[in-house]
Amino acid sequence: MSAKAAIIDDNGLLAFEILPYTGYPQEAAAEVTKNALARAGVIRSGISRFLSTGFGGKAVPHSDGVVPDTVCLQRAVKKLNPHVKTVVNVGGHSFTVFHIEDTGGLGESAITDMCTAGMGMFLEVISAALEVPLGDIAGEASSSGKTPFIDNQCPVFAESEAISLINEGYDKRDVFAGVTSAVANKIAGLVRRLGVIEEVAMVGGVAKNRPVVAILEKNLGLRFADLGGVDPQVVAAYGAALLAREGCSLDSQRLSDSTADRFRRKGTL
Amino acid sequence: MLTAGCDIGALTTKAAVIRDDVLLGCEVVPSRAKAVQSAADVMDRLLARMGLSYGQLDHCISTGYGRNLVTFANSNMSEISCHARGAHWLIPSVRTVIDGGGQDCKAIRVSEQGRLVDFRMNTKCAAGTGKALELMARSLGVDVSELGPLSLRSKDPVIMNKPCCILMQIEVKRLVFEGKDRADIAAGANDMVAREIMHLVRDVGQENDIAVTGGVANNAGLVRCLEGYLGVASVRFDVDPQLMGAIGAAVLAAERCRGAVADRSGNSVMQ
Repeated sequence: MSAKAAIIDDNGLLAFEILPYTGYPQEAAAEVTKNALARAGVIRSGISRFLSTGFGGKAVPHSDGVVPDTVCLQRAVKKLNPHVKTVVNVGGHSFTVFHIEDTGGLGESAITDMCTAGMGMFLEVISAALEVPLGDIAGEASSSGKTPFIDNQCPVFAESEAISLINEGYDKRDVFAGVTSAVANKIAGLVRRLGVIEEVAMVGGVAKNRPVVAILEKNLGLRFADLGGVDPQVVAAYGAALLAREGCSLDSQRLSDSTADRFRRKGTL
Repeated sequence: MLTAGCDIGALTTKAAVIRDDVLLGCEVVPSRAKAVQSAADVMDRLLARMGLSYGQLDHCISTGYGRNLVTFANSNMSEISCHARGAHWLIPSVRTVIDGGGQDCKAIRVSEQGRLVDFRMNTKCAAGTGKALELMARSLGVDVSELGPLSLRSKDPVIMNKPCCILMQIEVKRLVFEGKDRADIAAGANDMVAREIMHLVRDVGQENDIAVTGGVANNAGLVRCLEGYLGVASVRFDVDPQLMGAIGAAVLAAERCRGAVADRSGNSVMQ
């Protein structure tokens, strides 16, 4: 749902940009790259290596290679906080949890890619149905008094349920608080299934939704690890930049294949 | 004997009136926020069109969402029994009914006598429902009624692999931006929905003949996909397949009346 770009040099993060989009990923990628270059004050030819990742990674026209997002996240999180052993990645339509082994390698992972339950998209759908922008309502959800329990995990059914609750006289914010809990508890479920090994870091767009994070931390009984103040939404892009710096583009295809195999073998849900 | 059935769906509300085993008339209206209002709407309209009044109805059965709230109904029954009864009443060779509604989908097995044997229903996920088709149509910029005819023009259907209708919608948008043929995308969407429905059919067990009912039955492309997976053509109704629940409710109402009459004369006919 948004394109992210990060530019690093030998010393660290130079600039990053986030661009929400509804159109074609190619255009969003070009635009967000242009913005990040402008912010960093460099030109495209000044970038030695450029890697892309994520849902539209293959659509990035000017990339030197495509790397899987889990590899990018693992690389970035390891760099930002070496104590992290469990990474929870929840974006608009991505939802993965994976372990980082003591050796720093990628451990067990679980991915949901057939269902929107627990994803940012779920919150988007309900906030659209309740006709309140996500930004406004997400902040208010935590202050709500009586929160209804939302049974449904499917956004289509949850939307009907939310509308019924409002017809029953519930306040919009209370209903949304219920939806927020449903999302957070769904995420917690997958994290528990894979196993909570502290420290735990949360990345992706949903990591910026304070009510979701608060409920999730309470549910799991922990505080998410600090990632050095880097925007949780750009961690994957930052990881891709780190991999580019390491010269990983040469065998990115091999890397991509082996990770895909790993997903197939392990926790595909 | 004059009986009526009223089926309140998530998206449309339907009514049917039968007299002595003959279908007199039916009506479909879009559902409103309150189930009771939708039911009154459709029944008022149908009775007015036929020149009938509520007082003339011997029995009326309501079914669907909020069926227990319909004040003019004498009793209510589950929409599963109603769909099964309606399809079997019109075509007695029917043994499996695939009922695709706005937000639910069911595969129903029917006995030779038209009684419910077993069923499977989606409970957690909207994949395989009319809602999924609506979202796909919206992403394609067409009305949901155009999805079927459009998909039949496809020469090379796209292959989709995400059952979730929200994720499918994103996929459809991406394909549109990539410039893929709309007919091919529509055919791919129909195929994905059909595959979801087939999970339920396989689980309950397929027995021929097969009837496809509910709003999704009006999507000819989807029905063709289903028939491909079923390996057999589905039966064709002379009436709108959306009406099957309402018709079944009216048939069951008639049976209930006969049962009551028989009971009074000392025979137990109630099946």
